[in-house]
Amino acid sequence: MTAVTHVNEPQYEVVWPLGKPAYAARAPNERVADLSSKVIGETWDYLFRGEEWFPILREELSKRYPGIQFVTYDTFGNLHGLNQRELVAKVPALLKEHKVDAVISGIGA
Amino acid sequence: MLRASAAVERVGVPTVSIISSGFLKQAAVVAKGLGLPEMAIAEFPGVPMTQSKAELRRQVIEQLLPRVIEGLSKPVQRQAAEREVLLPEPREIVFRGDFDALQEHFHQQGWSDGMPVVPPTLERIAKFLKFTERDANEVIGVMPPANRVASVWNVAVNGVMAGCRPEYMPILLAVAEIVCTPEYKIEDAGSTPGWESLIVLNGPIVKQLGFNAGQGVMRMGKQANTSVGRFLRLLVRNIAGFTHAPEGADKGSIGQSFLVALPENEDAAADIGWAPYSVDRGFNAGDNVVTVQSVVAISAPTYSGTEKAEEHMKIIADVIGERACGYWSAIGMVYANWHPLIVLGPSIAKVFAQDGWRKDDIRRYLYEQVKMPASRAEHYAYHCGQTGFRVTQAVKDGLLPPAYHESDDPDRLIPVFQRPEWIGIVIAGDWGRNQSKGYVCNHVQGVPTSRKVRLPQQWEALLAQAQK
Repeated sequence: MTAVTHVNEPQYEVVWPLGKPAYAARAPNERVADLSSKVIGETWDYLFRGEEWFPILREELSKRYPGIQFVTYDTFGNLHGLNQRELVAKVPALLKEHKVDAVISGIGA
Repeated sequence: MLRASAAVERVGVPTVSIISSGFLKQAAVVAKGLGLPEMAIAEFPGVPMTQSKAELRRQVIEQLLPRVIEGLSKPVQRQAAEREVLLPEPREIVFRGDFDALQEHFHQQGWSDGMPVVPPTLERIAKFLKFTERDANEVIGVMPPANRVASVWNVAVNGVMAGCRPEYMPILLAVAEIVCTPEYKIEDAGSTPGWESLIVLNGPIVKQLGFNAGQGVMRMGKQANTSVGRFLRLLVRNIAGFTHAPEGADKGSIGQSFLVALPENEDAAADIGWAPYSVDRGFNAGDNVVTVQSVVAISAPTYSGTEKAEEHMKIIADVIGERACGYWSAIGMVYANWHPLIVLGPSIAKVFAQDGWRKDDIRRYLYEQVKMPASRAEHYAYHCGQTGFRVTQAVKDGLLPPAYHESDDPDRLIPVFQRPEWIGIVIAGDWGRNQSKGYVCNHVQGVPTSRKVRLPQQWEALLAQAQK
């Protein structure tokens, strides 16, 4: 069977199927040049063996940065669980309370 | 976790987010949608769940640690400012061409689900808009993770593309309202289990629009059931941003295809004196109601052949309860939320009713009789990646009820169904056979959420005109 070219095939004019973005982009905050004597918070979604690799990170960072302290993930709770929204909403106050300088967050997207 | 990182960045504290290799592309979409496209990321190499303890330790020290340090302390390299892109206005023509060229363009742009779409022309969209009194520009909500605006207009556009008829528009709007509610958590529709949203329909609109509630109810083929289900998948793709791998934010590891809409056979329910599913959802019988919930797995077709309700119940508890729901109920326990749905064939529902059973009796039986060892639930959860989950701790935290910790025996039996009232029951399918099926939901992601369908004042006249 031979394909036939139809010269009178309709032409369509169509619109965009997406929606406009509802966000405004901003840059991340300034970094902490030297982690020595700084307070590092940990936020975790209780997934993918964080209970194993967070302690390794703590151990290795402590070797490299004297005086570094950690506010461990249990302070913030499971940020991927049933009460995710409520717990995430409490994070700013906890950061302030514990004078956190920077946060390591994991794991996933 | 990027949402937690964004909350931290918003209060002025720098973050580094650990993302395993397979999630980097999803992370880019999520970060952009959160307004922080340059968020510091530390890649966790490989798949953490399949690494030995020694390998994990080596990866953390040799690969992850330097990336974490860099992410926290190295000044962010500002990318060249993103060129201000002028996005199309709703009525702006973005493409002109014949059918083949149009399909190719939509595939190239990632605007299609892989099948041909109906061209969203202004004329077709206008026909859809006649079936709502809402302003075309009205914002229904914002759909994460891409955080794009869902409006009456782009609901109509995606409805056209899906092959819906204009008169489906009130249902499409109700569906969009549901998936835009924060409780539905559409932002997690691209999680690795690969769940899909199931639309359940109740009310006179089911018959008015020609939905099939009978034999082959969940098959593609009937225009109403199929196109409404496809519409939701297109909406999730085009507005929430869940385009497929490898370029997209959809991380469904194996995934599944979209589900056609499931209308209840309300006549069958009425025949046996049972209220329709919409009443269980808090509405009045006769209301047009849309309910949407996640489905992560489907049971085997479950046949039960007897005139005794309890015998049916035993098989349903075995096949749908223990075998289909048992495994994933562990993940439901992790999130303390779980809403499986059972579709009963009309002939089976009739036997239950004749034996004096109500829907609550079925729910109670499943809650009381279907159990699994606590140790097995933890085992399943661990292997899924919820490595920090302990049943006893979840009870202590008030997430699971006391029935989950009646002793300290790790092998004590605990309920598969967390709460009887969380079990949905819908009557549908072949009246001439004796089959049921279970639809397993994905915990807090896609919890059953319902909306009444808002019909335009001239609904009957508009419908009559459309169906001429």
